[in-house]
Amino acid sequence: MSIKLKALLKSPWVFHLSTGSCNNCDIEILDCLTPRFDVERFGMLLAGSIRHADVLLVTGSGNRKCIPRIKKLYEQVPKPCVVVAIGECSLSRGMFIDSYNCPVPVDKIIPVDVYIPGCPPKPEAIIAGVVKLIEKVKNKK
Amino acid sequence: MKKQEILQELRERFKDEIVDFFEKSPKRVYIEIKPEAIVKIANCVFKEFGARFNIASGVDARFHMEILYHFTFDEIDLTLSIRTKLDKAKKLEIDSIANIIKGADWIEREIREMLGIDFKGHPNPKRLLLSDDWPEGVYPLRRDYKEWDKGAIRDRGAD
Repeated sequence: MSIKLKALLKSPWVFHLSTGSCNNCDIEILDCLTPRFDVERFGMLLAGSIRHADVLLVTGSGNRKCIPRIKKLYEQVPKPCVVVAIGECSLSRGMFIDSYNCPVPVDKIIPVDVYIPGCPPKPEAIIAGVVKLIEKVKNKK
Repeated sequence: MKKQEILQELRERFKDEIVDFFEKSPKRVYIEIKPEAIVKIANCVFKEFGARFNIASGVDARFHMEILYHFTFDEIDLTLSIRTKLDKAKKLEIDSIANIIKGADWIEREIREMLGIDFKGHPNPKRLLLSDDWPEGVYPLRRDYKEWDKGAIRDRGAD
């Protein structure tokens, strides 16, 4: 495993990007970060800027106005990075699948590594997803 | 000002402009007017009667494009909806009330891009919600809206 990847797994800093969600997934992410579920014990920390982040958490359906912004943010993440799509909206747009403003799901815009389904996913599901992600990257070598 | 006074005054002053008068409930009154008179009546209701401009809503009905301007009188608990009907066969345009009511600025911009109704004399007729690559002349909330984007994916990738 490269030193970069190893460092990334010890303490992945996450950046939270909402692309037009109803804010429920965002609240669940906040739940993960705050003391009750305390994802910080795995070393995860919310980064203030995308340029400091290793993990990009994407929520929401990715509407037309957001698509260029998602791309712009993805260009700014230091590589290697992982992208986590959280919630039904960012997986397949959920109930907004026929909306005029949501042409493609998020994984057609940027490469997504982990999908966490649910509307909204429980904090346990988000933690399980992130732990699986760490395992996956570790075993990749 | 009491409710009856307001309605009476409107009835008398705008005899020729008011098409229909409908009291749905004690708290809700619909007044249908001619589209040309909207600035005059909105000015009277907003400036003289001191109503609050709540919101406007655009409706794509079968033969008409309707715009409802909702005014509320909070202290007497009355909602006054001023309804205008624009004929779909003609050019869809109406005078803007954003010059006298600042709060109508954004909703008029939204109705313009969603339903394609032209607000004449709007101070800032730019787009509000749609993205810049949205084609001109396509209005998403109209009844006859068709998918225009060839790249759009409308399935979930599984049966």
